[in-house]
Amino acid sequence: MPGDPSLSIIPRDPKFRGLRDYMISFFGLDRPQWEQFVIYLQRLFTLDWGVSYQDHRPVADILFHDLGWTLLLVGTSTIITILIGIAVGAYSAVRRGKAFDFVSTGIGIFLYGMPIFWLGLVLQSAFRKNSVFQTWIPGWPALPTSGYYDDRLIPWNWDIVHLADAGLHLLLPALTLSLGTLAGISLVMRNSLIDVMTEDFVTTARAKGLSPRQVLRRHILPNGLPPMVSLIALDIAFILGGAYQVEVIFRYQGIGFRTIEAIGSLDYPLLQFIIVIGGVAVVLANLLSDFLLLWLDPRIKIS
Amino acid sequence: MGTVDVVKVPGAISPFRARATVVSRRMQDIGLQVFHNKTAMAGLIILLFFTFLAVAAPLIAPYSPLTAVPDVGPLTLPGGVHPFGTNQFGYDIYSQVIWGTQISLLVGVLAAGVASVIGTAVGLISGFVGGWIDEVIMRFNDVVLSIPWLVLMIVVAARLNYLDLAGIILVIGLTGWSVTARVVRSQVLSLKERMFVERGRMIGSSNAHILLRHIFPNAFPLIFANTILTVAISILSESVLAFLNLSVKSNVSWGRIIAEAYQHDALTIGMAAWIIVPGLCIVFLVFGFYLFGYALDEILNPRLRRR
Amino acid sequence: MPTLLEVRDLTIEFRTKAGIVHAVEGASFNVERGEAMGLAGESGCGKTTTALALMRLLPYNGRIVRGSISFEGRDLVPVPEDSMRAIRWKEMSIVFQGAMNSLNPVQRVGRQIAEPIMLHEEAEPEASFKRAGDLLELVGISRNRLNDYPHEFSGGMRQRVMIAMALACNPKLVIADEPVTALDVMIQAQILDLLERLRRELHLAMILISHDLSVLADTCEQVTIMYAGKTMESGKTMDLFTDPKHPYTQGLVGAFPDIRGPRNMPEAIPGDVPSLISPPSGCVFHPRCKFAFDRCTKAEPALTELSVGRRAACFLYPQVTEVPPRPIAITEV
Repeated sequence: MPGDPSLSIIPRDPKFRGLRDYMISFFGLDRPQWEQFVIYLQRLFTLDWGVSYQDHRPVADILFHDLGWTLLLVGTSTIITILIGIAVGAYSAVRRGKAFDFVSTGIGIFLYGMPIFWLGLVLQSAFRKNSVFQTWIPGWPALPTSGYYDDRLIPWNWDIVHLADAGLHLLLPALTLSLGTLAGISLVMRNSLIDVMTEDFVTTARAKGLSPRQVLRRHILPNGLPPMVSLIALDIAFILGGAYQVEVIFRYQGIGFRTIEAIGSLDYPLLQFIIVIGGVAVVLANLLSDFLLLWLDPRIKIS
Repeated sequence: MGTVDVVKVPGAISPFRARATVVSRRMQDIGLQVFHNKTAMAGLIILLFFTFLAVAAPLIAPYSPLTAVPDVGPLTLPGGVHPFGTNQFGYDIYSQVIWGTQISLLVGVLAAGVASVIGTAVGLISGFVGGWIDEVIMRFNDVVLSIPWLVLMIVVAARLNYLDLAGIILVIGLTGWSVTARVVRSQVLSLKERMFVERGRMIGSSNAHILLRHIFPNAFPLIFANTILTVAISILSESVLAFLNLSVKSNVSWGRIIAEAYQHDALTIGMAAWIIVPGLCIVFLVFGFYLFGYALDEILNPRLRRR
Repeated sequence: MPTLLEVRDLTIEFRTKAGIVHAVEGASFNVERGEAMGLAGESGCGKTTTALALMRLLPYNGRIVRGSISFEGRDLVPVPEDSMRAIRWKEMSIVFQGAMNSLNPVQRVGRQIAEPIMLHEEAEPEASFKRAGDLLELVGISRNRLNDYPHEFSGGMRQRVMIAMALACNPKLVIADEPVTALDVMIQAQILDLLERLRRELHLAMILISHDLSVLADTCEQVTIMYAGKTMESGKTMDLFTDPKHPYTQGLVGAFPDIRGPRNMPEAIPGDVPSLISPPSGCVFHPRCKFAFDRCTKAEPALTELSVGRRAACFLYPQVTEVPPRPIAITEV
């Protein structure tokens, strides 16, 4: 990576020369590269991730704090997205070629092409205090547009006031992220279900005298879900990318917000472990999806 | 040495001519289908509109995008000759939006081109060679596909430090090829099975010949449709990078206009258009590419066409 | 007691982008209680469409244009969808071609067999699963396999499961659409034997659909030959095979090698099944018929009774004004 990181923590003054040498040996920068890598691995697994250049707190502390909030945001919005996405996808698959299908697919493609940061800005302006809508439409709500809970409530406590406020602050960011990722899920759900609907066992199910709803729930959905699970797992990278943008817009200080800050200040200890965490998240998501698939699809066996 | 008499059989045409005829007839056929497909035409009209804006920007835009207008100061509210107002340096935002079309289109198309070339090459080789090479390439592809693309892009962008136009195109192109590789590979696998490749083998063609003369031309329409979709994604990527101040610094792009508007609280100072208009431009341009790409994919992908 | 199933002038159309497909035109046949009727013809001639129409299961773009399907004297064509659901599987069930995809791959077979029992007889799950086990044993599969998934069965076994499922609610009529097509010859014989045995034991009526006449020969009392959506000929199986009247039937019968007679190569019918969007004028078979003459290209032959229970639609035989093959039971309205 570019830049000499030691310069950003030590004042550029000759009298700090000794300090710089000390830092170099402290970080092990004078050792051979393979030795540095071994030290790196050692520290990675002992959670001894060093100290942030920027605010001089242990990297592990910072990141685990951020990770909690990012997980809350991503988790909430992913659950919303999956539920709504499957419902919309299933309904438009059933009503294929009808008005609902046409409109929802159109809106889907439209949302699909919307930059998430811009969607966040638009929602923010629509729901902030004294928004245009508020002056025109009586009763238009104002929602918190930044942070994870009100500054006046600092420090955090596990009580109803804090939780409610955190929920309120979560609303817009989660909505933005959900809208941004919804289209992909519902469009694929629709196509996957239409695929399933042409299968013979669906005709068998109808021939048995099941109602359309029973056919959908018992026979079509269980067969349409496995491909969705692997897709959502693959999409986790995309969802994380969206979460970064949402966090920046709503000053929701999770991993994404921290990343942008860390890049701005070349905070390498932070950056390298942010990347590690991103990788771990993707691996975990894929592992989880594999287990889900094992449970959903009896044809898949552990080989 | 005697001369070789080339006997011209009336009515017969050379195999090369025959293939050219077949290919051009197929292209005409596709063109006709595009023309009759409402989705494709809607997308095409949107694309033509923005292409016109980009090409004719110097003629349409009343001001230069990067010089202060003489008549009013910075942060002028919308109105009169400045329908969207002026930005923090006193540049005309309306002109900026029009000029921004150039960068968004240019970066989008070229980055998608880079991604497509890499993806096609990887997909062709992986699918055609097969075996452990295919296995290694696809596993690597899985890894690339599963890295959060934004992080990857940010890291690459930050690593290159100063990004010029070529830099940003490379960053987006280098991080965006894995989907294309996957699509091309699966297409190659199915083409490989087809008869004419077998026949090509039998008459002693080299692998390179089969790959370039038989498989690539047949996979090309699908690659093209996929490239169109990649353009949409590249445009979005550029806007995100621009918004995070990681894109081209010396040119104006829609993402950058939005970033500047955001930094100057455009919404609170009554300059909503500063954010809304460039955003809508991105949305519609991407929408146009998606519509066209999806329709093309539907026309070219017989599996989908049957429905 | 009215005839079990009487189909009269059944006409089905599909709306497609390419135009209206006339999938079935004027199909008429009867099925008596406990009787097996064969429906034969090349693929794409409307056999499966007819089967689906009997259960009112046509795809969304298909509809019954005219005709009636009376089941025990009740016309099913105007029955609303909700009431139709109570009839399906309870009164008549269907076994589809290639049991591979006819069973839900992610559901245990026991549940799939028990599902219609719980639905139609409102039975407790326990009783339904016990019944499902009995049914499996009836078709020669151990009841231990109730908890297996379809992919754990072989092709022939899956078809047995499908047959067990079709019998779940004691239907009066079972429609078997190409029940043995995807199976190898040994298994084919086993499945056909099973069907035949069950039919006799349970006094089932059956419609057996196949493009393969040899499948129908041993199983069915009556056979109806369809071509391009139209009925060409119908009659008793033996009569029809030993003395085919319609040139198309003659072609079909000739297309199968006779193991007893002299070694002749089976004769194929030249040409292909015509487009159902724009069918040929006159008799639909005339482009492929070696006896075709002038009149065949202009007018359409009516289905005419040649002898008792024997009908054919061909100008080679004297045309009389069409009489219904059997007197239609006149029900009081």
